[in-house]
Amino acid sequence: MDTSNPAVFVNGSLLRMYVGRRVRAVIQAIQPDAGGVTGKTTDDHQLVVKGSPPPVRLTNFVEIIGIADSDRSIRAEMWTNFGDTFDTQNYNQLCQLANGEFKHLFI
Amino acid sequence: MFASSQFDANTAFAGGGFMPSQPSQFVDASSSSSARSRDSQGLVPVTVKLISEASHSGEDKSSFSINGLEVTNVTLVGMVFNKDERASDVSFTLDDGTGRIDCKRWASEVFDTKEMEAVQDGMYVRLNGHLKSFQGRRQLVAFSVRPVTNFDEVTFHYIDCIHFHLQNSKSQLGVATTQPHMVDTSLNTPNRTGPNGYQTAPSTHFSSQFGADGLKDTDQLILDYLQQPSCSERERGVHINELSQQMKIPEKKIMDSISSLENEGLIYSTIDEFHYKFARG
Repeated sequence: MDTSNPAVFVNGSLLRMYVGRRVRAVIQAIQPDAGGVTGKTTDDHQLVVKGSPPPVRLTNFVEIIGIADSDRSIRAEMWTNFGDTFDTQNYNQLCQLANGEFKHLFI
Repeated sequence: MFASSQFDANTAFAGGGFMPSQPSQFVDASSSSSARSRDSQGLVPVTVKLISEASHSGEDKSSFSINGLEVTNVTLVGMVFNKDERASDVSFTLDDGTGRIDCKRWASEVFDTKEMEAVQDGMYVRLNGHLKSFQGRRQLVAFSVRPVTNFDEVTFHYIDCIHFHLQNSKSQLGVATTQPHMVDTSLNTPNRTGPNGYQTAPSTHFSSQFGADGLKDTDQLILDYLQQPSCSERERGVHINELSQQMKIPEKKIMDSISSLENEGLIYSTIDEFHYKFARG
């Protein structure tokens, strides 16, 4: 059992707190551009995902797990399709709770 | 009673893939936990982080306790890695973002092997199993591993963890966990709820309102209740059974509070020693 490398739940505004650390975020509507893809976080911030996506079709929502590069980008290690429908509000609230008073349950 | 219905659910879950040693383990878990009726629960939603912080409990040190609650059967959501199919079992690592834990699925029935065939590395799954300690390492022995198809389940699981552990820590303080409707309305108004109605502000409000000294706060609850116009208008006052039922506090606790409040002259008994009213002035 190993808890040394957790991935923190983040949205756009929380990302800056974890620059250089492993994070996870759900991004919507990925648009490819030079060097990576751009999407929208669950709190409507723009985010750049660096790295190459897997060779499958990306659904509307994708979970990115990787290292936070800056307050607006993540260097992706894992891409997981989260489907074309997803409750972003729920996830956003979860990000806030997981980084707030319930942090001890997560990291 | 509650534990045994969960027992059936677990059997149904396992679909017969169910080792002879397991029933006795379930019976042990449920009989020891039904001794503490508040602690009997089915599958406890946890994160790997919580498992890592669990302490050993029980006479034989075989069970775990998380925040004072005895936990054997757990449910997690995470990603599968290092899946290794062997003759007698399938082992893999589950990474749920808070940590990684080794898991094992005994291939005792066709159902088990078939279910595990559908599970691939990199896939999100819902895992139900029990916590074990083997050679000093914590492990999960899974009896159900299901691929996640709707990813709201991922969000749900973590919120479920938060909710369960919040409820657990509230009941540890010895205060009613259900919403006592007679407590002052400020509890209900700061309603910063998420779309699924999960109330965050009231919960924190709740825990700050009730300190570690449970008995003293029960006093306050009783006083508040008795001061309501509907209660103070009643000539005979309020029966302690009503106090116990309305506030979901055990009668023993109510009676303790009643006697200390009566000693302080804040309340007085009316027709018999079960009816009390708030003492005005």
